[in-house]
Amino acid sequence: MGKYLKIFQTSLINGFVYRLNFIMWRVRHVIQFLAVYFLWLAIYADNNQLFGYSRAAMLTYVIGTSVLRSFVLSSRSQTVGVEIASGDLNNYLVKPVSYLKNWLARDLSDKLLNLLFMTFELTLVILLLRPPLLPPASSPAAAIFIVAVILAMLLYFLFSFLVSSFAFWYPEHNSWPLRFFIFMILEFLAGGLFPLDIFPPVVYNFFRLLPPAFFLFQPMQIYLGRVDLAGAVGLVAANLVWLVLLYRVSRAVWRKGLKIYGAYGR
Amino acid sequence: MRFKTYSKYWLKTSALTLQSLLATRLSSFLFLAGKFVRFFFFLAFLFVLKDRLGTIAGYSLDQVIIFFLVYNLFDLFGQFFYRGIYWFREEIVSGSFDFTLAKPLNPLFQILTAHTDFLDLPLLLVVIVALGWRLNSVSAPDLVSFAFLSLAAVIIVTAIHIAVAAVGVITTEVDHTIWIFRDLASMGRVPIDIYVESVRAFLTFVVPIALVFTFPAKALLGFLTPVTIAGVLAASVFIWWLSLKFWHYALTQYSSASS
Repeated sequence: MGKYLKIFQTSLINGFVYRLNFIMWRVRHVIQFLAVYFLWLAIYADNNQLFGYSRAAMLTYVIGTSVLRSFVLSSRSQTVGVEIASGDLNNYLVKPVSYLKNWLARDLSDKLLNLLFMTFELTLVILLLRPPLLPPASSPAAAIFIVAVILAMLLYFLFSFLVSSFAFWYPEHNSWPLRFFIFMILEFLAGGLFPLDIFPPVVYNFFRLLPPAFFLFQPMQIYLGRVDLAGAVGLVAANLVWLVLLYRVSRAVWRKGLKIYGAYGR
Repeated sequence: MRFKTYSKYWLKTSALTLQSLLATRLSSFLFLAGKFVRFFFFLAFLFVLKDRLGTIAGYSLDQVIIFFLVYNLFDLFGQFFYRGIYWFREEIVSGSFDFTLAKPLNPLFQILTAHTDFLDLPLLLVVIVALGWRLNSVSAPDLVSFAFLSLAAVIIVTAIHIAVAAVGVITTEVDHTIWIFRDLASMGRVPIDIYVESVRAFLTFVVPIALVFTFPAKALLGFLTPVTIAGVLAASVFIWWLSLKFWHYALTQYSSASS
């Protein structure tokens, strides 16, 4: 445990070394948020109720997903693909550390850094835009929401790690093309631009069960009280099922990958 | 004579880029598919809105779709022709920019057109066809206005890429600068009239997103006066001039440190 804490600390310090890089990344995040926020503000200019969401609920959803995006979807694990493709993975294989835990520690430090900046940005947004923010639907909903967010972070980490692991079979461009394709789909299926339930029921009922829906959309449904407590617990259970499934698949893929790993580039 | 030289250079580098794309077919397919997914998901979102909403910021949803298509037209234009900017940082950091400067060709031309991105071409064609279909019902004066503003948009997009290259020479930071521009540009997927006044002013006068994406679409819809069109053309020439000045200043700061 101690060594992963050290990795966490080192990674955090490393994040502060490349300050300009990080600040520009956060600037991009704010721009992306403003684009979505103003779009929904305009959509609700002449309507107070649309797609089953009040104006306040939708703007809370938009701000909430933006906040969640900061630490659920922030990840450094795309570098896993680079390390596999370049052969840098060797450096880890000879060390007494778990590669998965090593990246989880680095991911968590990245999320902490993003969380710090996001808190500052959110304060600024609230002061400048004065959006109609809704509180959590109830105290139990708030508690379940926090659990759902933690699970979402872990689920996304495993998802991202799994995508990177395909670099064993597909090292071209550090497996970036596959990541680009999957993340273009994920951008929409996670519910970052719009809540998934604005789609027709048939489409929605399919999308809401896929892992990306658990990254942003489902936690916000719990926060807003759009599912009752039993439903919220059910969503957390479904998230757990995906988590176990993805963990097993990730491990299996990783083991298979290591068998064919040729350490090219070293 | 020079035009012939530059054409030859562009054709040669483009042919080489195409060959590298064909050599990595699966990667190319995944990039292509990702671009189409992004385009059609947002289009689907607009159609969902169309089913439920009358207007957004006074525009019908059909008009909003025109704005989205025009946004894609000029965004894809920039990516198709000027993808080379994404490789420029490497040149600066490694010092190989020295070789670019030593060649008897405009270094800006070499930098920007170094990697013509053919993966943007299919979607660009889809957008042109969709707009062409719409152009059937546009009056001749609006079409002429659109042509003028398209010219202005191309000039400004080029100028912005030049400015990003100049920032790269001075600071060695290119990737985030171009991505910040792309993120700001994505605010032009919809008419900028939906934003609050301060954001609108920023997107018109500071980073001229509106001039590139919103104004040509407005011209197509017949919402612009000749005075506005003339103003945008004049602004594009000024922005072009400013970007070149900035580029020449940046060159004086180049230290060739890594070579």
